[in-house]
Amino acid sequence: MTRFASLALAMLVSLFAGAAPSAAAELNLFAWSEYIPQSVLDGFTKETGIEVNYETYASNEEMLAKLLSGAAAYDLVQPSEYTVEAMIKEKMLLKLDHAKIPNLKNVGKEYWGQPHDPKLEYSVPYMQGTVGIVVNTEKVKEPITGYADVFQEKYKGRIVILDDALEIVTWALASQGLGPDQVTKANLEKVKPVLTKWLPLVKVYDSDSPKTALLNGDVDLGIVWSGEAAILLQEQPKRFKYVLPKEGAHMFIDNVAIPKGAENVDAAYKFIDYMLRPAVSREISKDFPYTNPNVEARKLLTPEERANQASYPTGNPKLETFRDIGPVAADVDKLITDLKAKSGS
Amino acid sequence: MTWVRRLFTAWTSLVMVFFYLPIAILILFSFNESRLNIVWTGFTLDWYGKLLEDRVLVRALQNSMIVATATTIASVLLGTAGAWLLHRYRYRGSSMLETLIFLPMIVPEVILGVSLLILFVTIGMQLGYTTIVISHVTFCAPFVMAAVQARLAGLDPSLEEAALDLGATPPQAFTKVMVPYLMPAIVSGALMSFTLSLDELIVTYFTASARTRTLPLEIFGRVKKGLDPSLNAISTVFVLFTVFAVFATEALRRRNP
Amino acid sequence: MPQAATVASATTGQGKPPGRTGWLLLAPLVAWALAFVVAPAVIMLVYSFASRGTLGGVVYDFTLDNYRSVGDPVYLQIVFRSIGYAALTTAICLLSGYPVAYLIGRADERWRNLLLMAVMVPFWTSFLIRTYAWVTILKSEGLLNSLLIQLRFIAEPLEMLYTPGAVVLGLVYTFLPFMILPIYTSVEKLEGALIEAALDLGAGPLRAFSRVIVPLTSPGIAAGVLLVFVPALGIFAVNDILGGGRVDMIGNIIENQFKTARNWPFGAALGTSLLLSFAAIYFYVNRRQGAAAVR
Repeated sequence: MTRFASLALAMLVSLFAGAAPSAAAELNLFAWSEYIPQSVLDGFTKETGIEVNYETYASNEEMLAKLLSGAAAYDLVQPSEYTVEAMIKEKMLLKLDHAKIPNLKNVGKEYWGQPHDPKLEYSVPYMQGTVGIVVNTEKVKEPITGYADVFQEKYKGRIVILDDALEIVTWALASQGLGPDQVTKANLEKVKPVLTKWLPLVKVYDSDSPKTALLNGDVDLGIVWSGEAAILLQEQPKRFKYVLPKEGAHMFIDNVAIPKGAENVDAAYKFIDYMLRPAVSREISKDFPYTNPNVEARKLLTPEERANQASYPTGNPKLETFRDIGPVAADVDKLITDLKAKSGS
Repeated sequence: MTWVRRLFTAWTSLVMVFFYLPIAILILFSFNESRLNIVWTGFTLDWYGKLLEDRVLVRALQNSMIVATATTIASVLLGTAGAWLLHRYRYRGSSMLETLIFLPMIVPEVILGVSLLILFVTIGMQLGYTTIVISHVTFCAPFVMAAVQARLAGLDPSLEEAALDLGATPPQAFTKVMVPYLMPAIVSGALMSFTLSLDELIVTYFTASARTRTLPLEIFGRVKKGLDPSLNAISTVFVLFTVFAVFATEALRRRNP
Repeated sequence: MPQAATVASATTGQGKPPGRTGWLLLAPLVAWALAFVVAPAVIMLVYSFASRGTLGGVVYDFTLDNYRSVGDPVYLQIVFRSIGYAALTTAICLLSGYPVAYLIGRADERWRNLLLMAVMVPFWTSFLIRTYAWVTILKSEGLLNSLLIQLRFIAEPLEMLYTPGAVVLGLVYTFLPFMILPIYTSVEKLEGALIEAALDLGAGPLRAFSRVIVPLTSPGIAAGVLLVFVPALGIFAVNDILGGGRVDMIGNIIENQFKTARNWPFGAALGTSLLLSFAAIYFYVNRRQGAAAVR
């Protein structure tokens, strides 16, 4: 008994060596999953000695829920443009001192003057992207140009889409000629029959890593984040194609912001400045090939990366950012939950 | 009865295959060179090496160990005290107390997680080690209590009396007679508590914070992302640890009938 | 000596009312139960009558809207679906687990320990890992499909992952040990003489089973059913992984309210309703067991 006990104790002690919660500086990062490379975080820790605690979410709403509950304090969050708008309205963000972010100059001019935060007073652009259609060209031979083409009976059970109620609703709105700034109760009723037809055709809902189902061959079509699509195009360029729906697509700008109540504000500023370094930003693009708003970093990309249709789409697609929809969010969620339940099994 | 027995034996063998085949596949492919779990391309220990370098994973494991240890200590104290006090005293409401302590064991974990989250938010307690440990103890302590209660049921009351007659004080009677007697139940309860805590996902999902991500939370995130070859290696390590724990419990049981 | 005598009776008496020290010792226990079992439930109840703020906070007014929503046919449908899956899982576990438990319980010492440990290992292995194992086996380009295609049994990969069948398989895989172990405990306590008597009296194995053995092991069966049905009803992780986010159960809906939907009051209402239902089930089963024991 005692021999076993001492052996077990020795094992436990060895595992604890170095596990004591240190008094060293740390950064509590609450960000999207599949968005910040571990190498970037490790590099930051190596240089500054600040330990990064990275917690993830798969939707802006999830992040808002956690912040609103006050359950945990975060130093840095990663809201999309419409969420920044909402958070500014509710006074949830710290006003940024640009003097502490010298690398802000690397951000492209077109990212200033956006409706959600025109002077970048509360947020700094991280990555930009679109939500579009991925087609497995080996299985789907006919042209896919928009949402209506995807949601056809013949593709039943072969589709993956984001598990994001707001996104799904705006696609339905777009197919009816309505924009993402027209999310109202009345319009939700209008698109209900459209969604009732669409959702039973879906095989998988996935916002974390929708490329998985496509790579596995479990589905042939997907409406996914452009970064996920770009990875598919990189890995199997002959098999996949990225199409921006002609009815209109979401162009999102993901940002970093410091929530009020952050405990490690200095660490947060250090991280923001660090990620805006061209080399670091380029490293982020390597793992997550979204559209990089950092002009200097773009210069460091390879020609293949610049040519990736998902990362840097050419042509003149119809793109729109989202706006804050306020209390209608509850109705959006209920609508999708209802329809998912009815169409599920 | 023999044909029934033969039928049952055949069925049991099938069930055992059912249990172990997926686990065996995971273990097998953790040594596979290829990233995909389909074709065997060559033997490698690379994935295990990568595990050790994975700082996030190592930290998650450390968090899990810290939480599991604290949980086990607290659960043993609470569970043993609960079992002994309930055995010793009877009063109005003692069965209610017993039911309350057992309640977390028989309620779906999602409700436990959600209600504890609401509690912590209401009293303004920040999510972290403390909240996770409290959550784990609420459903681990009943297991310890049940084990100790079972052991107490077979207690010969004259044991304690004899100790007191021989001049021991009540505290001495407790520590020198009761505790050693209860030790096998306490140890098995402790082992159960440790394993449950190490394994816990659902309740932790609601009551953890960025700094205190436990191993199951980390694994859950990776499983949802799919295609992560390190998962095979992690699984193998887990299974080996479990086998060790099971053998340890069995060995202890044999030493203390 | 008289002092020792009173002390002796004080410590060995079972079920006596506690003195001052007794209450002192009991205080932490009571405090714990109140703080972490009663309080969360009560606060959740209070939340269930509140309403959702604009951005998703909690506004403390009094409304029955949340409970009205709980009765909404859509959610009721999900509840019934969850009950269906949980019941199916429990039934499959019971039917497949009983023979195993019986065999282990009646086996001789050596085999029994070996078999028990063989069941304990999956019981204690993280359910996440065991579920992940099935993902790798069932996916379109996974092991099973590749095998079947290689053996020319099928030409195109079968859709096994992200189906209700996969979810049931995953649930059964997760919970089967929880059914086997309690039934084993009951079987082990059976007296061989009883079984032999049943057979001697001319009952065929089938009748011996249904009339004698199964009723005698009913405590184990009840425990197993409870240990499988209750958690199965509240799961959200297994069906999330194996069902592709399509097989939403009541656990997913509740989880969603606290994450994406940001409707804590509604989540609290769902949680409270579920909790009360379980309390009812538990009391019912407990009373039946009590009655059976008296019989």
